[in-house]
Amino acid sequence: MNKIKGFISKIETSGNISIVEIDVDHEKLFSIIIGDREDFLKLGKEVFVIFKETEVSIAKNFSGEISLKNQFKCKISDINMGKLLTQVTLTWNNNTIKSIITTSSAKRLDLKIEDQVTAFVKTNEISIMEI
Amino acid sequence: MIEIKVKKELSSVKETFKLDVDITIKNREFITIFGKSGVGKTSLLKIIAGLIQVDYGFIKINDQIWLDTEKNINLPPQKRKIGFVFQDFALFPNMTVEQNIAFAMAKKDKNFLKKVLEVTEIENIKHKKPDTLSGGQKQKVALARAIARKPTLLLLDEPFSSLDLETRQKLQEELKKIHDEFNLTTILVSHDFSEIFRLSDRVFLLEKGKIKKHGKPEDIFIQEKLSGKVKLTGQILNIEKEDIMYIITVLIGNNVIKIVAVEEEIKELNIGDNVIIATKGFNPFVLRTM
Repeated sequence: MNKIKGFISKIETSGNISIVEIDVDHEKLFSIIIGDREDFLKLGKEVFVIFKETEVSIAKNFSGEISLKNQFKCKISDINMGKLLTQVTLTWNNNTIKSIITTSSAKRLDLKIEDQVTAFVKTNEISIMEI
Repeated sequence: MIEIKVKKELSSVKETFKLDVDITIKNREFITIFGKSGVGKTSLLKIIAGLIQVDYGFIKINDQIWLDTEKNINLPPQKRKIGFVFQDFALFPNMTVEQNIAFAMAKKDKNFLKKVLEVTEIENIKHKKPDTLSGGQKQKVALARAIARKPTLLLLDEPFSSLDLETRQKLQEELKKIHDEFNLTTILVSHDFSEIFRLSDRVFLLEKGKIKKHGKPEDIFIQEKLSGKVKLTGQILNIEKEDIMYIITVLIGNNVIKIVAVEEEIKELNIGDNVIIATKGFNPFVLRTM
């Protein structure tokens, strides 16, 4: 589980759905929430942004437009290649993010330590946890 | 309203400590006392039942005082309107199911006996002797016998812990129904996480004789507040390494599910741990069953 500290900078609500914007070192992350909002989801509140390693996609030499709002410009700090799956450890500002992708993709992208990459996470894959 | 204030020196194999409890329960509430072995859970039930004497105690059930050590009031167990179910069934072997239950009744009441047999669904075995019954059936009879006393307070000391999972779950459902049907106020001692979540309105967390926390099960046990909308409670059955990841096998109700985790996550987890499985409402598929 990836866990990054930030604070809630904006909440947009429409009926049962809310999009919560979290400020992490001046960059913005987004989480979509359905149903009643928990008490701790308030503007200015410090929270953890959490998401699963398997939900983190990686792009190298990325250009063009993409719908995914959560984008992390990272540097690869470690690669652990298994037979089918590979865990890529990324450094994003002062945070560490882990990604699990297929080994065939890791090879196709020719990922190496120190490579600059962009990591993506869909808004609906991000949860918010009270600190 | 039920007020229970008791103080008593207790000694376990390891140490001596003071049971010091002050709890208030609303009528028709379902309460669970949760805690490790030897923290005083069973002693507390026995004190309420009048089976153990205390150093200081005050027990008031609505407007009736069962115990007031300062005023020298101490009703004997048979005068306290209590139904008690233990882990072992403790039925009279020489009596039939029906006789066992009728024996517990303060006065003969055929209609009420019939209702008890019906609600607990043991009418079909009422002429049988206890030794011909399964564990689940025996515990149903024990429950029926406790209810037959028309208790103001039903005390249950890990009543289903010796039963298999399927029987346990079935009896938990029936217990809920019985609790509602007979307007009971129930105090359960339990270790079983899913049982507590299924049955309790409130949980009292007992540690070394003292109530550390009380509240709704989700407030007591789910420490981390999460925005995820899908939360299930379960128990870890197995953790195994697969390629670069780990697969955690979790028992949720009677379903076994497998969840992927990374090395850092499994460091804090052990087989047997009670856990919350959380995800977002966006992920699960909903498929209609037949």
